[in-house]
Amino acid sequence: MKRLLCVVTLMLMAANMAQAEEIAVIGGSAALDKFEAVLKIEPNNLKYGNDYRQVVIKINKVEMYNRCIAFFENLTAENPKAPNAWMNYGYAFVDKIPVEGAITQVLLANTALGHFSTALALEDTWLGHYTRGNSYVYWPAIFGRTPKAIEDLTQAIAHSEKAEKLHSFHVRPYIGLGEAHWRLDDLAKAREVWQDAIQKFPNNEALKKRLSLDDDALTAFLTIHFEPGKRVDTDLTILWEEE
Amino acid sequence: MGINRLWMIGLMTVGLAIAGTSYAEESAWFQDVTAKAGIDFKHNNRSFKNVYGNIMEGYTSLGASVAVADYDGDGFEDLFLTDSEELGKNRLYRNKGNFTFVDVGEKAGVSKGNDATNASANALWFDYNSDRRPDLLVLRFGHNILYENQGDGTFQDVTKKAGLGIPYLNCIVAISFDYDLDGDQDLVLGNYFQPVDLFNPSTPNFFPESFETANNGGGVMLYRNNGGIFEDVTEKAGLQLSGWTLDLGHADVDHDGDEDLYVAADFGTDRLFLNNGDGTFADVTKEAIGIDTKKGMNADWGDFNNDGLFDMFVTNITDEYMREGNFLWQNNGDGTFFDVSRETGTYDTGWGWAGKFFDYDNDGWQDLYVVNGWVSGGKANYVVDIFELIVQPNVDLSDARNWPPMGDKTLSGYQENCLFHNQGGLFKNEAKRHGVNSKLDGRGVAIADFDNDGRLDMYVSNANAKGFLFQNVQPTSNHWVQFVLEASYPSPVGTRVWVQINGQKHVGFVNGGNGFASQSTMRVHFGLGDVAQVEEVEVVWPSGKKQTFENISSNQIYRIEEGKKALKPFKPKNTTATQNGK
Repeated sequence: MKRLLCVVTLMLMAANMAQAEEIAVIGGSAALDKFEAVLKIEPNNLKYGNDYRQVVIKINKVEMYNRCIAFFENLTAENPKAPNAWMNYGYAFVDKIPVEGAITQVLLANTALGHFSTALALEDTWLGHYTRGNSYVYWPAIFGRTPKAIEDLTQAIAHSEKAEKLHSFHVRPYIGLGEAHWRLDDLAKAREVWQDAIQKFPNNEALKKRLSLDDDALTAFLTIHFEPGKRVDTDLTILWEEE
Repeated sequence: MGINRLWMIGLMTVGLAIAGTSYAEESAWFQDVTAKAGIDFKHNNRSFKNVYGNIMEGYTSLGASVAVADYDGDGFEDLFLTDSEELGKNRLYRNKGNFTFVDVGEKAGVSKGNDATNASANALWFDYNSDRRPDLLVLRFGHNILYENQGDGTFQDVTKKAGLGIPYLNCIVAISFDYDLDGDQDLVLGNYFQPVDLFNPSTPNFFPESFETANNGGGVMLYRNNGGIFEDVTEKAGLQLSGWTLDLGHADVDHDGDEDLYVAADFGTDRLFLNNGDGTFADVTKEAIGIDTKKGMNADWGDFNNDGLFDMFVTNITDEYMREGNFLWQNNGDGTFFDVSRETGTYDTGWGWAGKFFDYDNDGWQDLYVVNGWVSGGKANYVVDIFELIVQPNVDLSDARNWPPMGDKTLSGYQENCLFHNQGGLFKNEAKRHGVNSKLDGRGVAIADFDNDGRLDMYVSNANAKGFLFQNVQPTSNHWVQFVLEASYPSPVGTRVWVQINGQKHVGFVNGGNGFASQSTMRVHFGLGDVAQVEEVEVVWPSGKKQTFENISSNQIYRIEEGKKALKPFKPKNTTATQNGK
């Protein structure tokens, strides 16, 4: 009970401090202190780790990304069986990509993949397969990782089909799977995946957009979408907002 | 930022209006006349006999260079081309005046640049001894050679006499300008590798230590010219760098009367130095352009938006696996620059090398030609090998032994060169239409009016392949004017020329070798569009003196001598070739 109270108190403090204005006033470091304290108590808490990372992104300074990576490095070392700590550890590398040069971006993305794999090895989940599969999609086909994307995203879809309720976020692996086929220059297959998905998610704008474009426009759109160095949305809030 | 956005909106409006203009003639405006002109030259990479040979050969592909000058003073621009193969001969092609050339390299004594311990990497024409004749500096992975122009068609090796018998360097670029305004041409050298003998390295650690922040390259060197003898003043001038220099570009970017310097570096940040006017330079990189981690390969200054300020074009690597994007640094006039490559359509030219500003259609806007491609080889892609290298934990990138062999693999190969037509500040790639979209691995682009017809031609050097001589045959009735400048200081480098047409001033200048692996003409050329008469020409000489001339007729090449009141039509010697394209 005492532990729970401690977590709740710290989280409330952290949540308050995570407001952008607060960060500006008190400096990011203090807000991160609170999140780190909470995560040390609840290392496998996906939400706390996610919120922590979102504060780091708001601060958007190299030293804070480094601090976040170092924190998760220690957290996973101390809690090697906590899949969600590994998951956030991987995302922490993805979050840093926009502030680095082209080669470091590759190294960060590659390291992230390793941590996503560790998370998945510990716990076979929709999120694990979607995250790793979607990461593979970002790699140009020349690196030979697109088939792995297809494999992971197909498994993520299989997970969602077994879920009690189909949530709006379950559309994501469908989008990624189509994009993986686009990577392999199979636009017909990509559209087939998205057509199938839009039956399940008729209001999804991302699907509608992709299906509305002809071959050249789709390639132009996805080339910009996958531009290395662009910030990838790693905010997982949607997972619990719908619950 | 707000001003930049406003400017871009204005620019796009003008650009769209101009884009609506269509030329009746839709045929190619450049013709490949290489063979017809008598140029039969293929650059060949060097094969290394040491254990690093499997990775080193590609680096000598950087040595496919071209340098333009009228070395014999006959009024027609000549060409010097470098090879890199052992015993491969460098060529001096004398322009015979009717768009044909003859190789006089051996006769002139400048063909020997490649032997077992030296590989030619680039060349620069500059007047080292202030006798108003262009001398020739051949840069080498090894020891550079300075040839003095004897004025009789021959050259003499004066390297040691001039104080340039420097120990081993891996020099890749040189430009010359009068940095201290004392009247003679100083020399800036850019070195790629550190001074390790590449043919017999004493250490395996001569490769870049990082892909983004490498500081173990050859840096730059500034040599002050003391009456034909050079003195290393790098440290005194504040130019100590240890990056992997690939190109240098000078211009008076703040119009304060002295020449400033841009250093394009591989594997790390480019640098901008402002000349303090007292023999030293100030590194203004952080405040002017910011710190980058890209692969800077070209540095050319030109006023692409006709605002009277010199802007900078730098090529970087832009491919499926790495999208650095080029820099088109728009000069804001307040000491800062803003990259508008995305907004202007010049962001992606693949793995770019030389990129040169010039007005190929004489419409009054600086166009841009960019060549590209690293190695066009077999089907296997070397990027996969590079990826495996970089993801190894704690790999020592500086150790050449860790780099995978290249074999006949391709890396950013088969890329089409880009000819960007400037449509009021926005660019449209017209390379395919004009037949200049080669997929060879281009390196240098030299711009010159080889037939004195007022249409700017090009020589393109290609790695491990033949080059292209492109004759400009554009059929528009656009007007032009061109200036051959005779400064009181022996060299005109740094002279700025302003022409006023329709109330608007356009600026050009004489550059001393800007742009990767290529030196263009020292003449200053302006396209005038449909304006037949220039309202005013203002010349600002390196001496600081100014001269103005009014109501100048177009479609002429003029000789302007510092201090003389009248403009004279420029006439080539001993030839029947004419001007005005007639």
